[in-house]
Formats: sequence, C-alpha cells, structure tokens
Amino acid sequence: MWTRRDSGERADTPDGERANDPPLLRMVGAEVYPNWEAIYRDNVGWVYRMLYAKVGSRPDAEDLTTEVFLAALRPLRVSASVREVRSYLVSTARTVLADHWRRTLGRELTTLDEDLAELVLDEGHTGRDRLADVERILTELPENYRTVLRQRYLHGNSLKETAAVMGVTVGNAKVLQHRALKAAAKVAERIGG
Amino acid sequence: MFGARRFVENLLRQRRLGRLRVDPSTDAELRTAILLRSARVGADSVHEEFVSSLHQRLAAELDETPAPVPLARRKVIVRLGVTAAASAAVGAGLDQVLAPRSTKAPATTTREPVIAAPPPEQELTPDNGVWTTVAAAVDLPEGSAIQFDLGTITGFVSRTDAEVWAVSGICTHLGCRLNLDAPAKMLNCPCHGASFSVTGAVLRHRLKVALSPLPRIQAREIDGAIQVLAPPTSSG
Repeated sequence: MWTRRDSGERADTPDGERANDPPLLRMVGAEVYPNWEAIYRDNVGWVYRMLYAKVGSRPDAEDLTTEVFLAALRPLRVSASVREVRSYLVSTARTVLADHWRRTLGRELTTLDEDLAELVLDEGHTGRDRLADVERILTELPENYRTVLRQRYLHGNSLKETAAVMGVTVGNAKVLQHRALKAAAKVAERIGG
Repeated sequence: MFGARRFVENLLRQRRLGRLRVDPSTDAELRTAILLRSARVGADSVHEEFVSSLHQRLAAELDETPAPVPLARRKVIVRLGVTAAASAAVGAGLDQVLAPRSTKAPATTTREPVIAAPPPEQELTPDNGVWTTVAAAVDLPEGSAIQFDLGTITGFVSRTDAEVWAVSGICTHLGCRLNLDAPAKMLNCPCHGASFSVTGAVLRHRLKVALSPLPRIQAREIDGAIQVLAPPTSSG
C-alpha cells in the first residue's frame, strides 16, 4: 500500500521532515516496487540525507548518492521487497562512503553504522536528531566558542560577518573558530561515545 | 594541520572536500565539523534539481537511451563508461547483501569520482568578501545562467548539475566583457570571438596563446537567494 506521510506522521520523525520537502509517498513493509522509478523516488531522499550526515558537503553527498543509485538500480530490477531494496541501498551506500574516504583521505573518517541502517530500514528516515547532539556539545563550551561555531556552522556566516557580530577582528575570529572546533571535538568524544 | 583547515573551509563553503592529506590526529575535529555543518536547519534537504537530473541519468543508463539534454551528452557518455564497471562490480555482491541484516558489503572498486570535476581554474576570493545576493533561487532553474554586475566584480551565476556556479564575466585574454548566449549556455567575447562555458571552461578560441578558464567565484544558495562572495562596494 502507498502510505501518504501526513503532518501527523511527520511529527514522529526524530530528525523532522523539512517543511519544504515535497509531500512524500512512501512504500511500507513487504510491498514490491512497481518499477525502478518508484524505487528511486521513494528512497533518494533518505539515501541523500544519510550520506549528507556523514560527509557534510552537498556536492559530495550528491556525488555519493549518484554512485549508490547507479550501482544499485540495475541489479535491483529483480522483484525484491521494499525492505530488501532498502537493505541493499544501505549496503551499497556503506561501500560507496568507505570508497569515498579511502579515495580522498586514505582512511574512513565516518562510517555508516548498523544502528543507523536499522533505523532507516524500519522508519525510512535517518534517525538521530543532529541539532540536539550539537546543542549538547555547545552548552559545554565557553560562550565565545559557542558563538563562533553557531555563526560559522549553523548560521552560515562568513568570518567577516562573524567577527562583526562578536566584536573581534577577522584574524581573531579565525583563531577562535579553530580553537572552538578543537574544544567541541573533545566534548563530542567525551559525551558522544 | 593545513589539510584539516582546508577540509573545514571546503565543508563550510559546501564544496567537494576533495583529496587532502590530513593528519589523523585531527579526525575527531573533522567529524565534529561534519556534525556541526550538517545540523544546520535545512542543510540536508535534497535539492529537486539534483533529484531530477539523477533521475534523467538513471533513465539514460537503465533504458540505454541517450540523455535528452544535448549539452550534458558528452559528460553522460564519459560517465557511462565508468559507472557500468561500477554497477557490475557492486552487482556481483547482490546475493550476499540481499540477505536480511547481512553486514557483508558489496565488492569495492577503486576509481575516480563519478561526476567529472571541471578543469582546474583560479578562484576569485576577495580578502574582505561578503555574501551578496545576485538573484533569486527560483530565477535560476537547472541549466540556466544569469549575469550580475556588482560594480566591484561582474560575472555569471548558473546552475549546472544541480550546483550553483559563479564565474568572472571578463575574458581571460584581454579583459573584454563577455556576453551571455543563454540558449547555447555560452559566454562569448565580443573582441576576439573566444567562448567559455557558463562554468568557466574554455570552449573555443582562435588565439595563438593558451587561454585560461574563467576564475570561479564562490557562490551559494541560501534562503531562496543566490549569493556570491564579492568585495564590498566602495560606497563609504
């Protein structure tokens, strides 16, 4: 059965479907997709978001999503169930992500772990509320570190804009940004597990 | 150290992170940077332009019919050669991975990224750059280009392969202002007939010297606006 995700269901998704996402028709359970286009439309969103959370850069996440579907769709023209399709997409994404990091950094900076994959399979979304994770980290930091990270990462302001907001020089803002990231990484390692 | 900073810069500017030599001691910082950047509201929304262009590419690949967009043709053919091998390699692992909860990953391949990067070019990064809106995002659909003139710099923004590009609008030969030929997606020089793509690549010229690609200007899409990183205007 096609299930329309209405606003009531949206409220249940931990990372919150974006208000500007187009309305989604989503397949559930052991159903079978009618064709590859249905597979693509139903899954491209979460595959992209899952990879974006692991690389943090839109062009990279788009490249990797492209790789996943180019690699996965042809073998998937068998009549696999929705669950099997998602399982296969997760496996392919895991490999594509690992390849990406080996190619660029020579080691796997981030990986797609099992619990995330399970969440995706069950709920069709990428689970964790990253903003809550970030807030937990930020509250442990001194105010100026918190501000510079918020300005640069969460609000997308330039160093110059950030410096103006904080009343410091651009050079200072730059130094603060590096130190703040270092401090945030320490907190993240401690509380993130 | 340097590699880590570059990584963070690329992340903040939403560029491809690229091949970098980064000391493993900074890995925790890089992971935190990714977490911070990806937590931005709306950051992980998939762009509809990307969804449609990938849909088109998959259709071309699966149905083995040529892609309907003539300009993308050459790129698509190049990609097919690379990705067909990738499909075959990963497909070989299908039986294993279709088993529920299987943790076995499909066969890995070593290859270049699927999407071809543009040829290397200069980037115009002003010392005191400020993000300046040059167009509304809705006015820049996939495949289109718009000219902008901020007084300090002039150029063209375009959306190609679902990515927003900005390039200088000054010919790299002798500095004449380029004209946009929108249907052909080309920037033409009125002086000596050189032509560039809207992403800055040299398409043709009759000069005896090598011609550099157009300098790229940093561009972004934010809150429905297309912005470029431009020097402040000298109004004060």
